[in-house]
Amino acid sequence: MSLLEFFTNHTYRMVLAGTVTIGFVAGALGSFAYLRKQSLISDVIAHAALPGTLLAFLAAVLLAGTGGRNMLGLIAGAVVVGTIAVLFANGVARTSKISIDTAMAVSLTIFFGAGMLLLRIIANGEFPGKGGIQDYLFGNASVITIADLITSLTVGAVALALMLLFWKEFALRTFDPDHSSVLGFSARAIDTLMFTTIVIATVIGVKAVGLVLMVAFVVTPPAAARQWTRTLPGMVTLSAVFGALGSGVGAYLSIVLGNVPTGPLIVLTLFALFLVSLLASPRRSIVTAVLTRRRARAALKRELTGKGSAA
Amino acid sequence: MTSASARRDGEFACVARNLSVAYRAEPVLRNVDLFVPRGVVMGVVGPNGAGKSTLIKAMLGLVKPLTGRTEFFGLPLARVRQRVGYMPQSATVDWDFPTTVQDVVLMGTYGSLGWLRRPGRAERARAMAAMEQTGIADLASRQIGELSGGQRQRVFLARTLVQSPDLYFMDEPFQGVDAKSQQAIVAVLHALREQGKTVVIVHHDLVTVREYCDHVTLLNQRVVSSGPAAESFTKENIRTAYDVAADDDSFLEFVS
Repeated sequence: MSLLEFFTNHTYRMVLAGTVTIGFVAGALGSFAYLRKQSLISDVIAHAALPGTLLAFLAAVLLAGTGGRNMLGLIAGAVVVGTIAVLFANGVARTSKISIDTAMAVSLTIFFGAGMLLLRIIANGEFPGKGGIQDYLFGNASVITIADLITSLTVGAVALALMLLFWKEFALRTFDPDHSSVLGFSARAIDTLMFTTIVIATVIGVKAVGLVLMVAFVVTPPAAARQWTRTLPGMVTLSAVFGALGSGVGAYLSIVLGNVPTGPLIVLTLFALFLVSLLASPRRSIVTAVLTRRRARAALKRELTGKGSAA
Repeated sequence: MTSASARRDGEFACVARNLSVAYRAEPVLRNVDLFVPRGVVMGVVGPNGAGKSTLIKAMLGLVKPLTGRTEFFGLPLARVRQRVGYMPQSATVDWDFPTTVQDVVLMGTYGSLGWLRRPGRAERARAMAAMEQTGIADLASRQIGELSGGQRQRVFLARTLVQSPDLYFMDEPFQGVDAKSQQAIVAVLHALREQGKTVVIVHHDLVTVREYCDHVTLLNQRVVSSGPAAESFTKENIRTAYDVAADDDSFLEFVS
């Protein structure tokens, strides 16, 4: 397929624009989750997004009597329940001796389990517009509509705008939480803002990519970007670019290869970027680190044995 | 509090009254009263687990005390934040964070900027002056992960200095520091004392306490003694604080 054919096809354009938006926003905001050593928090959010979107769907159908597939409503449901899951995990870790990784795993599974129950209830019931709702598990990029894209762009832009507006506060609290508090910045206010943006970055991808793979969009680009950069603005920018690039290339490949799911191919593309970064980055490459160490040890050995024989 | 005693407390840089802290059910500090006169370097000294860092954190509101309260220059912290600086232990942050020395030092100006305002030329000039004072100006654009232990402490010291507070809390500023960095930090301490600033340092090395500190508070969950070094930092008090038997005096040879 030529690039011209690709870009003149409406569905392909939607898939590309939708996934690139998701990759860009998740890449940028994932950097803060990475630096706060809470990368897996997005996995909690994504899994809790399942009951969130399903509850929003049920509320829309049963209470409002409208079609349940309005993306903004679904995002709102995912944000609310995703935030509750994050607060639950952090609350358990803070008030008990249970570590944060265990708390996140408990939170993730309980919300996901509740989501699976809701999914079955919806599948068995008579709800208008329930078709395709199980797509949230693994995502379906080919059903992105213009309205979905506009919603993703708007919500993503809001999250990025919050990040830029509170950049100084985010950086300060991420680097040294205690110092930030002593300087008079409310920990709760900054954390609420920061986790809201991370929740948004995670849930905008759930429909297109699916909740199971969404964590890769939040985790992989920052990990790759960290290999190349020395400053926070550099890392966030590069991570966003990696996210967008990986999503674009992955989406293109999925279409060109024909009938290959988009989400998994994007994850593979992102992983390729990650692998190259791990091996080839100038300062932090694991290959050059091993070579440098081996060379230094050999030189040291020569020096020591040389001295030994001279004496 | 009556206005008379409020005035009296104003003579102190910092007053903590009846401060108690417990981690879960374990008491760490019991009814601590601490009076830090203005213009002194006060060392907080005690064995591991004595609650030295916790005391500072509780005073600064980083740990919620079970009882008691702390005032700075006669006022609660929220009203005098700009006059109070905190230099935490350097091990508390991730030194692989993607940032440069000057960006970390610049963070010391964020308190005076408040929400949303960005640092400008004036803030960068202040950061540069603080880096010169601690002898790390040549490291300004260095990635913080490439620094030695002593250089890290000097970055944190510069970040505290840039705020130009009147009262400094430093948690083990000499921890893991090479001789050159030690010299640089001591020089800053002396300069601060000459300017009439007040410094509270958590200090580990009993041998150098007399050298660096005018006042000493010996702490072991409660205050064993507090006051001018000559009165407070005595063999008797050190034995009590460190729970050492009276005949084990080799431990205390350095105290005159």
